[in-house]
Amino acid sequence: MIISGITILVVFLILHSGSSSSTRTKKGKPENRIEDLTDKAESDVEHIFNEDFREELRNRGRLHFEKIIGENAMFLQQDLRLTTSQLNEFMKTEITTVLKDEFSKYEESINDAKQLAIDSIQKTQTTIEQQRELLTQQLNDQLASEKSRSLTRFESHMADIVNHYVLEAVGEQIDMSEQLEFILAQMERNKESIIKDIRDGA
Amino acid sequence: MDKNKIILPSTIVSPTDIARLVREIETVDDYFRQLEIRGKEKTIPRMSKLLDSTIAANQLSIDDSANREHIVQGLQTVQTSAPIMHISFSVDPPGSHVQSLVTWLRKNIDDNVLVTVGLQPNIGAGCVVRTTNKIFDLSLREYFTSKRDFFTKILHESMQESQSDQANSKNEQVSVISGATT
Repeated sequence: MIISGITILVVFLILHSGSSSSTRTKKGKPENRIEDLTDKAESDVEHIFNEDFREELRNRGRLHFEKIIGENAMFLQQDLRLTTSQLNEFMKTEITTVLKDEFSKYEESINDAKQLAIDSIQKTQTTIEQQRELLTQQLNDQLASEKSRSLTRFESHMADIVNHYVLEAVGEQIDMSEQLEFILAQMERNKESIIKDIRDGA
Repeated sequence: MDKNKIILPSTIVSPTDIARLVREIETVDDYFRQLEIRGKEKTIPRMSKLLDSTIAANQLSIDDSANREHIVQGLQTVQTSAPIMHISFSVDPPGSHVQSLVTWLRKNIDDNVLVTVGLQPNIGAGCVVRTTNKIFDLSLREYFTSKRDFFTKILHESMQESQSDQANSKNEQVSVISGATT
């Protein structure tokens, strides 16, 4: 910046002095003054831009360059940090989004599997319940049938059962003399049938 | 009246008795014939209880051959034409009871009825009478069978009573437990 400013200043001075000399030439003897000024400028340039000034300019340029480099490095560092943070944020967001999607898909799959398992279990439970009801019904029917059959059989053999218990209880105490009255009473009851059968049979 | 008809005493029970009696009378007839041939005095031989009772029942003299012939013919008539009843008892009956039964049968059923006795231990008590075409089950078992409805009714009543007793006892237990908890 300084160099460019100095360069512009030098160029302005040259052009300004030139224009003054040309105006003077129009009035009389201007060409010698311009040459003098040019020589003086050349000698002044050599005088102004000596080694110290150049060294100073170099130092200033170096410092300025270092400053710019430092600022740019700082900017670059900031940009890098910002970019890194943005990248981290982006990565975080992306990973979170992807993970959310994956987790949602995974959860959806788990829910589907869970629903499938629940449906299967419900179907199995329904089938088991139906089978249980069927078996219960069959068992009840068989139980009722068996109960009815046993009861019918028991009732049909009631006489044998009672006879058995009576004989077990008092069988030894019943002798023929006690039976004779019963036998004669029974025969008296069947007398007509016996007579009829004997007559018809004969 | 049939001339071959004789009165059967109650001691004559079965066709076997008739056959045995016929054989005995034939033996007695042979005995008297031998005495007659030998010219000996007729003495009454020792006879079985069956023959004694038969002679007594018919009021005949055994030393007369005509009487013997009459008895034999009468017995043979009975043997061929008399109705035979088979009576089974649970135990072997004493002879006196069989005779009582035969007496009742000859008084109420037929004069010449003959009885064969068998055993059926499973009938319990009473007897089973088998005539020519029919079987009359006069046993205690058959009596119980005829009373089956009565037994069934009694059984159902007792079952209902026992069920109501059980229900009452359960209710009492529940009330006791609930009272104890309160």
